[in-house]
Amino acid sequence: MTPAETFAERTHAQRVDYAPWLDREASRRALAEHGLPEPRCEAWRYSNPNRWYQAEPRPSPSAGASPRAVGARLVDFATADDDARTLVRDHLHTAADRAKHPLATVNDIAMRLGLLVHVPVSDTPAEVELGELGGGIERVLVVVDPNASATLVERPATPTHRVVECVLGEGAQLDHVRLQPPAESVEYHLVAARLGAASRYRLAQYSQGASLRRNDLHVRVAGRGGEAEVRCGYRLAAGTHLDTQVGVEHEATDGVSRQTARGVVGDRARAVLNGRIHVAPGAQRSDAALTTKSLLLAATAQLNAKPELTIYADDVRCAHGATVGELDADALFYLRSRGVVEEAARELLIGGFLAEAVADVAGDDARALLGIGR
Amino acid sequence: MLQIENLHVRTDGRDILQGVSLTVERGEVHAVMGPNGSGKSTLANVIAGRPGYEVTEGAVRFDGIDLLALEPEERAHHGVFLAFQYPVEIPGVSNMEFLKAALDSRNAAAGEEELSAIDFMRRARGAADRLDLNPEFLKRGVNEGFSGGEKKRNEILQMLLLEPTLAVLDETDSGLDIDALRIVAAGVNAYASPDNAVVLVTHYQRLLDHIVPDYVHVLVDGRIARTGDKALALELESNGYGWLADPAS
Ligand SMILES: Nc1ncnc2c1ncn2[C@@H]1O[C@H](COP(=O)(O)OP(=O)(O)O)[C@@H](O)[C@H]1O
Ligand SMILES: [Mg+2]
Repeated sequence: MTPAETFAERTHAQRVDYAPWLDREASRRALAEHGLPEPRCEAWRYSNPNRWYQAEPRPSPSAGASPRAVGARLVDFATADDDARTLVRDHLHTAADRAKHPLATVNDIAMRLGLLVHVPVSDTPAEVELGELGGGIERVLVVVDPNASATLVERPATPTHRVVECVLGEGAQLDHVRLQPPAESVEYHLVAARLGAASRYRLAQYSQGASLRRNDLHVRVAGRGGEAEVRCGYRLAAGTHLDTQVGVEHEATDGVSRQTARGVVGDRARAVLNGRIHVAPGAQRSDAALTTKSLLLAATAQLNAKPELTIYADDVRCAHGATVGELDADALFYLRSRGVVEEAARELLIGGFLAEAVADVAGDDARALLGIGR
Repeated sequence: MLQIENLHVRTDGRDILQGVSLTVERGEVHAVMGPNGSGKSTLANVIAGRPGYEVTEGAVRFDGIDLLALEPEERAHHGVFLAFQYPVEIPGVSNMEFLKAALDSRNAAAGEEELSAIDFMRRARGAADRLDLNPEFLKRGVNEGFSGGEKKRNEILQMLLLEPTLAVLDETDSGLDIDALRIVAAGVNAYASPDNAVVLVTHYQRLLDHIVPDYVHVLVDGRIARTGDKALALELESNGYGWLADPAS
């Protein structure tokens, strides 16, 4: 048996005592049916999933800030009342697709912590901070009611395997920021969002590298006129690995999506960046764009960037562009000629490049994480 | 202060400078003129330490130090400044951040204390004011989307802030309208003092109506073909450079 098969079998057979009221049968069936990704399959071409199976995701001791919210309700799945259970049952897996993200089914079965974030309508946007959740294998379900709005900032201090599902009702707004500090771990993350009509979802993910950090970001523009933005800024220190797979699916008419990524890859580091736009039949007047910009700092830095467009509607606007480069020698000389020493000049240029990836929400945290500014 | 002796420079397999000698002392203003492609920017760039040029012969000394052995930033710390012919755009780095980094490095190298953010802003605003630049422009990305004239004024702004002892201004007049030219010239004139020197690199005589040089050198085919005073610049204006290239003249 391959490590994938062994791991799938073990997960399938796992006896679960966390929140036993959750229906895990569908996930078990999906696991049995689809199995887990094998090394070198298309979706895992540059990151070996065996490393994840072998890393044996474990609960981590709780450290750092616990989650807090203003204007939103936080409920641990383990202690959910009937009301919360209903919300979870109604929304879990409406954004995340078991067939597309098999590792997320492992998370369904083996989660040690589940958190419901429920955002009701209010005059002021809710603010949610997810610091350390302490679960190791964690599931977050964010339900934003119609016309409600919130900002959600994730800043885990220790390695996690986290699946975050965001379900936006009609006219809802969610600004979602993920801060991923440097780590030596092997991690899998999935963010899956489903946008109702005229809702707006903005995801900004700022990452440093890890031994292997895989981020699947999957956004479904499911309601008419939904607007999605996925922004990635990353900086990979020597020898680290970050694999980001972004997929935006336009399922309804008049949707808008923007994917942007900016990354800096150091010595012997590898960045994998897949950007996918899918426009379903009938999703007319979709407007989608994807741009990636990468900076390679050394000859041994590796980048595998690929845009993928599958368009099945005729009246759409779809644009993509990618650039890869090194630090600009003229700019470097310009700074040095003003007395800025070489190392500082390089830092300034890297910071300037990455600064353009940073959005307003939690901008200072993002800059700190990416090492921008002095 | 600056001694250039028999300087030969090659780039891209071509010999551009072929024996330039030039001495500049404190308190002097020199103009280096010459037709396009004669090697003026090459000379300026070699003084500042731009990579990509090979010095095949000769020496450049600055207050007795072998300038060519120094990194560009070290030259700056010794007081060398080059106003670029084509200032570089650096999106994402604000002009302010850039100027502060430059000033901090200079102060650190001189063993001086770092300027407080407030003092820095006061000085930067003051310099922007003198060059008739909107202070808003300090917040923009370095040279990003600046007009040609703004870029040149930004170079002079840096000169005013960094207070170099040798300022080499490469075609700072090009791209300036007459008002901007006057403002820039006033800035340079106010800056020039017995303690520092200015080398104006230009192929027009226009700038020299506003900044009067003590010496005018004419670079032709990688050599200084003639040295004179301001009258030489006027002569060039009416007669062009052709007569200098002719060995018989
Ligand atoms: N980095 C370079 N690479 C190749 N050729 C160069 C480079 N810099 C200058 N040159 C060439 O050297 C000659 C002199 O250029 P330059 O010094 O820019 O002259 P000027 O400033 O007097 O117009 C020109 O023929 C130019 O094409
Ligand atoms: Mg030139």
